[in-house]
Amino acid sequence: MTGALTQVPAGWVPLAAVLLLALAALGATVDGALAARAQGRHWGSGLGLPMAETARLLRQRRRRTVAADRPLWLIGTGGLLVVALLMVVVVPLGRWTLSDLPVGVVWFNAMDVVVWALVWLAGWGPNSAHSLVGGYRFLAQALAYELPLMFAITAPAVAAGSLAVGDVVAAQEGLWFAVWMPVAFLVFCGAVLAFSVRAPFSAPAGADLAGGVLADSSGIDRWLLLAGRWALMAAGSAFAVAVFLGGGHGPLLPAWLWSLVKTGALLAVLVWVRRRLPTVRPDRLLPFGWVVVLPLVLLQLLVVAVVVVVGGS
Amino acid sequence: MGLRRRLTAAAVRRATVLVVEVPGWGRTRCAVEREIRDRGWRPAASPADADVLLVCGRPGARLAAAVDLAWEQLPGPRARAEVLTPSGASAALDRALDGLADDDGQRADAAARPGDPAMGIGADEDPDGDDAGSGHETSDEDSDDGDSDDGDSDDGDSDDGDSDDGDSDDGDSGDGDSGDGDSGDSGDGSDDDGAEDDESGEDESGEDDADDSDDSDEMDMDMPMPAGIPLAGGGEARDGLEMDLLHVPLGPVLPAWPPGLVLHCTVQGDVVQEARAEVLPPGPDAEPDGDLVQGSPADRCDRAARILTVAGWADAAAAAARLRDELLDADGPGSSRPALDRLDRRVRRSWTLRRSLRGVPAAAGNPPAGDVHDQLLRHLDQARHPREGGVPTPVATVPLDRLPDLVAGQELAAVRLLVAAADLSPATLVRSGAGLS
Repeated sequence: MTGALTQVPAGWVPLAAVLLLALAALGATVDGALAARAQGRHWGSGLGLPMAETARLLRQRRRRTVAADRPLWLIGTGGLLVVALLMVVVVPLGRWTLSDLPVGVVWFNAMDVVVWALVWLAGWGPNSAHSLVGGYRFLAQALAYELPLMFAITAPAVAAGSLAVGDVVAAQEGLWFAVWMPVAFLVFCGAVLAFSVRAPFSAPAGADLAGGVLADSSGIDRWLLLAGRWALMAAGSAFAVAVFLGGGHGPLLPAWLWSLVKTGALLAVLVWVRRRLPTVRPDRLLPFGWVVVLPLVLLQLLVVAVVVVVGGS
Repeated sequence: MGLRRRLTAAAVRRATVLVVEVPGWGRTRCAVEREIRDRGWRPAASPADADVLLVCGRPGARLAAAVDLAWEQLPGPRARAEVLTPSGASAALDRALDGLADDDGQRADAAARPGDPAMGIGADEDPDGDDAGSGHETSDEDSDDGDSDDGDSDDGDSDDGDSDDGDSDDGDSGDGDSGDGDSGDSGDGSDDDGAEDDESGEDESGEDDADDSDDSDEMDMDMPMPAGIPLAGGGEARDGLEMDLLHVPLGPVLPAWPPGLVLHCTVQGDVVQEARAEVLPPGPDAEPDGDLVQGSPADRCDRAARILTVAGWADAAAAAARLRDELLDADGPGSSRPALDRLDRRVRRSWTLRRSLRGVPAAAGNPPAGDVHDQLLRHLDQARHPREGGVPTPVATVPLDRLPDLVAGQELAAVRLLVAAADLSPATLVRSGAGLS
């Protein structure tokens, strides 16, 4: 079934990057509009937020700190955007994909584990207590969300009988996986919020740490971190659309447009969720992640496996 | 040219403001926050995040030094303003905006600043002279960019430093430009606890002063000192591991934090092992403009907004702050009642908020009882049901010396929540002299 996808040449990567950034900007725009409304202004006044913030940060100078670990700081700062782009490499846009990896699902998972290192490095680099605590908070949080995330994306792979994202999309022709594996879908959405450091999982960049991993970044460094977080959220949404929401399947519209519309919609919902929820204290997260969420998602996986075995025989 | 002007115009549309409240200027701070919100600007979380440093009130010498240090950490373009009355908030922000948009002025300011970050000097270089009031652990870090340190960090940074700030930065630092950056420099250099009072940026030197007991003998220590920073001392942590002991001061330049409060924390990892609290007073001859009436509905909303901000719930905090401002206008809950009820319901229903706040001890009442979640709900309750006759339900303030016991053994997240919710009254403490250590 992998043949259903057309692998486009690498020359299309810039377009993928532009699309990813556009989606990230969409997320930030929705966020700005919601924030403006919460503050009692017209929501329209928040629409320009990504552009204004970009202009502000482009004009701002970089902050340097004493005895900073400059190379590692830069890797952590610049890496988030790169990883987000590497994530969407395996996500099909309608019939096209940049890379139809036979292990696309595992690839995505591997990329999201790289985020562990990057956020921690962004916290370590400035040699500052607040950002370092923020970095460690992310590791603690990653322990809480990573296992549920891995099992959550295992479920669609089991149902499709393949680790290739294209096969997973093709297997949803009649019925989206989100419909009959809702727990896995919800857990994955939570994990997207977690690896993009958004509430309720925003403790690593929390207000109580003066911005945590962001505390000592300014100028283009800060832009890269913020854009990287939005891009991660967009890439996570795109992947969720591919493996849970039927990818490009849908009536009337062309498949690539369906992919984009669904991704944008899911992203907007995630942004809305993140504004609705306060941050959960990091030390309260791990018990919940392992005692409640992990068994639930394992049960979900069991159900999926049974359905596949019974249905397949 | 046109592009640059357009970039500037876009960049200052949503300035971020680091607001510093001097004890006694609570109403001014509220007016400033309101003005920031109405303009669609944003309060900054840290100096690195800020375009504008806005001081509400007239700080005393030590608080002023802390503010100066925070000022040094604003990356620039930057602007600074002082507000003394609520009615002056708008004009002050306008002034700051003009300063931000002034490209030439900003370039001159940037050129006048040293190219390398403000550096804590070693304890032995510091005379520990001019502030007898501070404990000895406050003395061993300094924002002073002493000559030798300048050289050091310059070398370290030169490779990547030039690429971002432009050559002018390093080259021009000595050209005698008399921009205001220079005076800021000498200001924070002369004070010994400026660095320590800063909120986040100077943590890099917060780590360096880790062993305050070794104050004066870094020569004796047989340790490597990266960039002149002595290594942290060790100590046994709560789970039996040996972990570095760092001295991290919290406050006084810290958003959602009681005005003027400094909590000198000794932390291992993110657990505060011990702490010492003090309040930095306003200037001796300053005439404070006044705080919100303690216990009034507006004050309750303000306290709720502070807790919600630290809890990482920006929207609910914004709702509480808006209610506070409405209540200040209206002198009674009246028309704000439905919104208050909505906020109260929203807070009560939030399962994640309960999960975060439960179990963080409340610094309220005598003896302290309950947790921060109770406190938050109590504030909202009192705001919705003020006593008849307009006499506010008094807030039972907690003595400052209770705070260290309460925060010891808590994680930073809990400490921030605890202090944000603490029923302290720094202005009263300052007036009575109790806050001065």
